[in-house]
Amino acid sequence: METIQSLLGGFAVALSGINLLFGFLGCLLGTVVGVLPGLGPAATISLLLPVVYAMNSPATSLIFLAGIFYGSMYGGSTTSILLNLPGEAASVVTAIDGHEMAKKGRAGAALSIAAIGSFIAGTVGVIGMSFIGPPVAELALKFGAPEYFALMVLGLLLAVFLTSGSPLKGCIMLFLGIFLANIGIDPLTGRERFTFGTLELMGGFDFVTIAMGMFGLSEILLTLEKEVSSEFVTTKIGRLWPTAKDWMESKWAIIRGSIIGFFVGVIPGGGAVVSSLVSYSVERKFAKHPEEFGKGAIAAVAGPESANNGASSSSFIPLLTLGIPCNASIAMIYAALLVQGITPGPFLLNDHPDVFWGVIASMYIGNVILVILNLPLVGVWVKLLKIPFGILAPLIVMITAVGCYSLENNMFNVFAFIGFGIFGYIVRKLDFEPGPLLMAFILSPLMENSLRQSLMLSQGSFSIFFTRPISGSFMATFFIVIIWQFISKFRKSRKKGPVSFL
Amino acid sequence: MKKVIPLLLVTILLSSLLLSGCGNKPAPAVSSSAPSPSGSVPAAPATGSEPPKEWTPERAINIIVPYTAGGSSDLLGRAIEKVWSKYCEQPVQIVNKPGGGGVTGSVYVANSPPDGYTLGLAYGSGCDMSMPFLQELEYDPFEALDPLCLISIHTVMVGVPENSEFNSLADMIKWSDETGKPITAASSTANGTVDLVLQGLAYSTGANIVIIPHDGTAGSITTLVGGQTMIGGAHPSDFLPQYKAERIKLIGVATDERDSSMPDVPTLKEQGVDFSAWGSIKGVSVPKNMPDNIKKYYEKLFKQICEDEEFIKIMNDMGQPVMYEDIETFTKTFKNASEDYRNLIDNLGLTYKK
Repeated sequence: METIQSLLGGFAVALSGINLLFGFLGCLLGTVVGVLPGLGPAATISLLLPVVYAMNSPATSLIFLAGIFYGSMYGGSTTSILLNLPGEAASVVTAIDGHEMAKKGRAGAALSIAAIGSFIAGTVGVIGMSFIGPPVAELALKFGAPEYFALMVLGLLLAVFLTSGSPLKGCIMLFLGIFLANIGIDPLTGRERFTFGTLELMGGFDFVTIAMGMFGLSEILLTLEKEVSSEFVTTKIGRLWPTAKDWMESKWAIIRGSIIGFFVGVIPGGGAVVSSLVSYSVERKFAKHPEEFGKGAIAAVAGPESANNGASSSSFIPLLTLGIPCNASIAMIYAALLVQGITPGPFLLNDHPDVFWGVIASMYIGNVILVILNLPLVGVWVKLLKIPFGILAPLIVMITAVGCYSLENNMFNVFAFIGFGIFGYIVRKLDFEPGPLLMAFILSPLMENSLRQSLMLSQGSFSIFFTRPISGSFMATFFIVIIWQFISKFRKSRKKGPVSFL
Repeated sequence: MKKVIPLLLVTILLSSLLLSGCGNKPAPAVSSSAPSPSGSVPAAPATGSEPPKEWTPERAINIIVPYTAGGSSDLLGRAIEKVWSKYCEQPVQIVNKPGGGGVTGSVYVANSPPDGYTLGLAYGSGCDMSMPFLQELEYDPFEALDPLCLISIHTVMVGVPENSEFNSLADMIKWSDETGKPITAASSTANGTVDLVLQGLAYSTGANIVIIPHDGTAGSITTLVGGQTMIGGAHPSDFLPQYKAERIKLIGVATDERDSSMPDVPTLKEQGVDFSAWGSIKGVSVPKNMPDNIKKYYEKLFKQICEDEEFIKIMNDMGQPVMYEDIETFTKTFKNASEDYRNLIDNLGLTYKK
């Protein structure tokens, strides 16, 4: 009851004119940032901090910045589905089946289900945050280095399943991704790795250049092979709304995705990305037609997209209840609050209830704003596909190249984008899929750090991964999945005669 | 509807151009503003010929923080950003370039043109002070950058989780002696100033301290609060939110005097551990060969910021004392601190040998 009282107080804050306006602006800006390739929420928040300081109201500024963050998660799915351009790490999984759907003329259904899934997951996330936030936050603290390592190992295993093709080729891409992530400066010791003394490589490759190149640009190059007159995706748009069958297939995916996102999103670091991977694999297991995954299954869009939005809500929990920032964007918000004299953490609830409940209430409102903003846009976005390929493709390349340039304002990232585009084209011609590479690129730095930290903790003994309850159960799951894969392959081969593992 | 789409496209294109224009680094209004390998200095007037007296910036200025968002150096940058517009007409952008314990961001500043639009923050941190003596490092703080001014010095404190049985260093040493087990310790950066204090603590007390480095403060604080390690080191402003929330106890500060922002925390020396260090020096750096008039401009600007009452209040609330020093004094401080660190690390027998 007390929670509902406080929440109502929060709504009073969030619904006041100026807060409502900035909540809306934040969501709008977030959507734009999510749609634009190259510009992420962290960079945008950093850019807008001077504006925030001028507001002189911590509640308003937090509502605004939070809107940008979760708004960008909504927007991120748009370009992933339409143009195969995942702008955020958490949208990579959405792109895989989402774009396949668009190719089949079902872009409208994919976008609508992504928006609705995001809305439901976002709302589930905020409800969870209001009522069971503090105990869930303690979960974040249970994660030490061994737990991270086990989680990342599991995440990488799930990444292999992102491919509909050969697991061996998936593994090859996975290891390539791990290698690419190693380029740059070792985060723990400051030593250079694989930089050949060049300055540009010291900072390592940017996620955006790889994602845009291997997904978006290679897609365009593949289309170029076909007749010049052919369309990029399809001019056939089909119906905008999901069919009754789509609903049946996605409703549980959305609910499962929301719950997975909420709990996994609390884990600092790779929460959002891992939750989308977990959701993808779970949906594949629950699906009636798992063979459709990777070829445009709507549950594969609904689940992961819900998961990453649920995660974006719940990643605020450690910030607000523990004073621990989960990712770069949230860390920026944390700094902005501290500079304004607000200390995020357990006392926020008592010392500044207006800020605490105001931002939570604003997230309920923000989710409604976003779904109202995004659903009508679906009709506009899918019309993009009507633009002839000859016009659309150069525009995409140009906008994406500008986005890559804006990462560091240098040409290196543009060249990297083009390079990864060509590389992506070649490997995709050879039936390798870029998904696992990208996932490994995102997850492996976390995995490497936590492996090294764990082994320092245990004085070099690998038993540390098996003796702690959380990491132990992750590792057990890892081995069970692998063994189960072999057994099921073996059974199939007994039935159908020799089947290669590749 | 047909007209909407081209309109939409144009809007997206324009906004992406616009946003990238005011992005991380200023748009190349000057031909050489893109980061180029060292040596390609624009035709800046040599110190011999008198440059135009007054210099004022004409576009946005980037301040590079070589550490992750939310850490003590980043907070310092955000505090500067908060009051910046009172003293400078052009906006400032704080850019986090973490990696390699601060090397990535520092090298980025060193390779930026000395045109007054890229400055570095946190000059005098681990990668400038302790790392060069503790490990092989391609980066040399003296050769890469020039000092501009000092803003703050962050002491290093040792903390334990709130439910820890250690209430003082004596408890910790006693536990170590009795059990013979290693003490796990979280540090933000390998061989940074915090790391050095933990190494020094191990050396001076004879305790077996296993240091777990992280890739930033957020990670090491989370590890410590979660009780994943037994002790941890960080700067006061990193500990402050958790200290206020009583999730962390602070058992020692590694300076000769107590930290004025947290006077309850005893020094290591008070507790009979003969170890103290400068802490992390947070100065402003500029690329080499910056014309004097630009340096003068910023020296004055940062002096004004450091005298600003709002800035001083923000800094005090965050546990960061404001201690401005001009170019001349800071250059000396920087040299002295580096020398002290060299001797300290040498005396501890930790100096890196190939």
